[in-house]
Amino acid sequence: MELSESVQKGLRRLADPAAFDAARFAALVEAAFAGVTRPGSEALLDHPELKHADQALVKLCHAAAATVILEAAKQNADRSTISSCLEEFKFDAGRTDLFCDSYQKHKKAVENLLAGIGGSPPHITDVSWRLEYCIKNGYVHKVNQPSYLISFNVQSGVSGGSPSEVNFNCTTEQLQDLVGKMKDAAKSLEKAAQS
Amino acid sequence: MEEVDRILIHSLRQAGTDVGDEVESIKQFSSELIVEAVVRCLRAIDPALGNGLSPSLPPGMSARFRLGMSLAQACQDLGYKGEIGYQTFLYSNEPEIRSLLMFLVEKLPRESSEASDQPAGKSVLLQKAIAAQIKAQLALPWLPPNCRLPLHSKQQSPGPCHNFYSQPLCVPYSARVAQKKQSKEVIEYYRDFLAPVTTQPSQPMSVPASLLEHHASELSATQEWESEWNSQGLLSRLTPEEYRSRKRARLQKRIVEQLRAAAQNRPDSQATQRSSSDLAELLQSFSGAMAGGEVLSKGTRFTHTEKFTFTQEPEKAAQQMAAAASSLPTSRQSEEELQAQQQAELSDVQQQLQQLSIQMEEVGGEMRRLTVSISQMSDELKQRELSNAEKEDTVRIKKQTIDLLPDAENNLVKLQNLVEASAKRVVHLASQWEKHRAPLIEEHRRLKELCSNREIESSRMLSEIKNLHDKIRQSADEAKKKEELYKQLTTEYEHMPKDVSRSAYTLRILEIVGNIKKQKEEITKILSDTKELQKEINGLTGKLDRTFAVTDELVFKDAKKEESVRKSYKYLAALHENCTQLIQTIEDTGTIMREVRDLEEQIESENSKKTVTNLEKILEDYKAIRQENMVLAAKMKEA
Repeated sequence: MELSESVQKGLRRLADPAAFDAARFAALVEAAFAGVTRPGSEALLDHPELKHADQALVKLCHAAAATVILEAAKQNADRSTISSCLEEFKFDAGRTDLFCDSYQKHKKAVENLLAGIGGSPPHITDVSWRLEYCIKNGYVHKVNQPSYLISFNVQSGVSGGSPSEVNFNCTTEQLQDLVGKMKDAAKSLEKAAQS
Repeated sequence: MEEVDRILIHSLRQAGTDVGDEVESIKQFSSELIVEAVVRCLRAIDPALGNGLSPSLPPGMSARFRLGMSLAQACQDLGYKGEIGYQTFLYSNEPEIRSLLMFLVEKLPRESSEASDQPAGKSVLLQKAIAAQIKAQLALPWLPPNCRLPLHSKQQSPGPCHNFYSQPLCVPYSARVAQKKQSKEVIEYYRDFLAPVTTQPSQPMSVPASLLEHHASELSATQEWESEWNSQGLLSRLTPEEYRSRKRARLQKRIVEQLRAAAQNRPDSQATQRSSSDLAELLQSFSGAMAGGEVLSKGTRFTHTEKFTFTQEPEKAAQQMAAAASSLPTSRQSEEELQAQQQAELSDVQQQLQQLSIQMEEVGGEMRRLTVSISQMSDELKQRELSNAEKEDTVRIKKQTIDLLPDAENNLVKLQNLVEASAKRVVHLASQWEKHRAPLIEEHRRLKELCSNREIESSRMLSEIKNLHDKIRQSADEAKKKEELYKQLTTEYEHMPKDVSRSAYTLRILEIVGNIKKQKEEITKILSDTKELQKEINGLTGKLDRTFAVTDELVFKDAKKEESVRKSYKYLAALHENCTQLIQTIEDTGTIMREVRDLEEQIESENSKKTVTNLEKILEDYKAIRQENMVLAAKMKEA
């Protein structure tokens, strides 16, 4: 895990028992995780333990800890990676364990947060269809062809998961084509899972 | 043999042969299976060789024969030394097939062991991870959306998404600003007013994005700087700070020059007046950052225009504001009125603009004129001052000469003496100077040499440093790679099926080795026994011969004297002969027994070769070929 200079500086200060004693360290780590998982919440650093410390230092270390948390989640780092990374900055065993425990506890939330970045096409959640049989139309006297009215219920990710509908009309061949393509897609997905 | 067969079948399955579960030994292999196994192995060993062969036996007899021939040829090409031909495949016998398959399995490439030495690429790892994830998601049963628990909903529906918006963040003691440069106010700001990073972005959603972006940009900046420092900075022999400041100065100079060139290209046109003043401001700010506006100290025109526009601008802005304010409440009036008003405003403003520009031009012209005259005046002043000084000098000299005139001769002598003394002094000084000069020049040369030596030394050191840097980077890379490999291998090892077969195999091998040792011991024991027996036999024969010879002689001697002893001599000879015959017979029996055993073994091996069935098969095949030939001939005739 590569870390930038300011993060390294923050971690080094964070590991320093003179700057952060155990209680203060725990409070700061808690605040960092809270800041990442519940962004925007005010009064993050208002913990009584942190109030008496140098605020600039607290902010620096908070930024460093938050960055480490996000980077670790981004790279799907396991416990050993994080602890070896923290030991480089002279974290003692207790602090490393504390950090890793909190990381394990919050990992799912952070991952979900990161997974939420980016768009995805809407998901089909349900489908309903109707067969329509056209006997004749305005131009041709005798058509006698079936056609399908299909309606997909979709759930789009961007708008916060509100369900909507996609409606279309297709002939038998088109429907067969669609089904074939879907089968192909499912097959290739299975193939991808096996490789 | 079962052990060997099991290993062989396992290897064949790995090579892609479809060996059924019920097949447990080579004995049960059918011709089809043998052909398939051999072809798969050939393909795995040498794709070019194996791809021309089909893994299934063709129905036609002649085609089968051809396939057998080509398979045998391919095996021989690979270096199989045993006897091989089409019959090996079509009319198989167990030992031959076993030795052939053992040869092929040994030749199989050991991909797995080689591949694991190299760390898999990142993309491969990523693909594996993706595949695992997809597999896990496919394994989940599909639930209708209404039945989903929040636990599932993450995996089966996208969840709320948002785009990657990042905002610049401010971190105390950022790497870009050296700590000593921070002023008290900045530190105070950091301490009292700066919000923690996670509350800085305006939207909570963009916090992770902003943090990641901030971190990545810092990282890349460091990397860029490092690469530049290693490639160019080290060679410049400056400290990092010096190098940075010099680079900044160079850049600023270039920007300033570029901007000035662009601004001076159109000095008088109306349109560029504003932009040039902007540029002037820009230049000013740049040079301000450089400490001291020395670069622009001569740019009088810019500063003038700047002042000019500065005084104008607030007025203009106020006018515009007023116009905008007046237009706001009337925005609901009809469009024509609005347009007319706008027209009027426009013309008004244009007029104003024209007036202003005319004024500006006038003032500019005046200014230029005045500057020119000022410079002219100063030039004139300088010239006048110069001529004045000259004249004063001449006046002084003339005055002195006039003072000397009354006592001309004395003064002349005095002056000559003075001149001579000065000449002498000059010569003396010159010689002294020469004296001083020589050691100084020497010293200078020495120092120069020293300097060049140092330079060479330092460049050597520089190259060494560079090498060291490279080495450090390489080792770090290697270490990282190794670490990754180690991690990957450990995970692979954890994922590996902990099959017992390996340990079972080793146990078995050890057992076999023990057995072989025991057998060897036994064999040596038997051998020594045999040797002993042979020795005993030899000794006994020798003894017998000797005893017989002695007895023979004694009896022969006695026989000459006595008739009865002659008879006993005869008996003795007969006895000896009979005994020899007996021994001979016993030996013959032994050889015959051995032969019998050999023959029995041969019979057994022949039996195991399934000769009869194979012959029957050959006969059938022969018939089939004849039939095929007949059919072909008939077709020929028909055609």
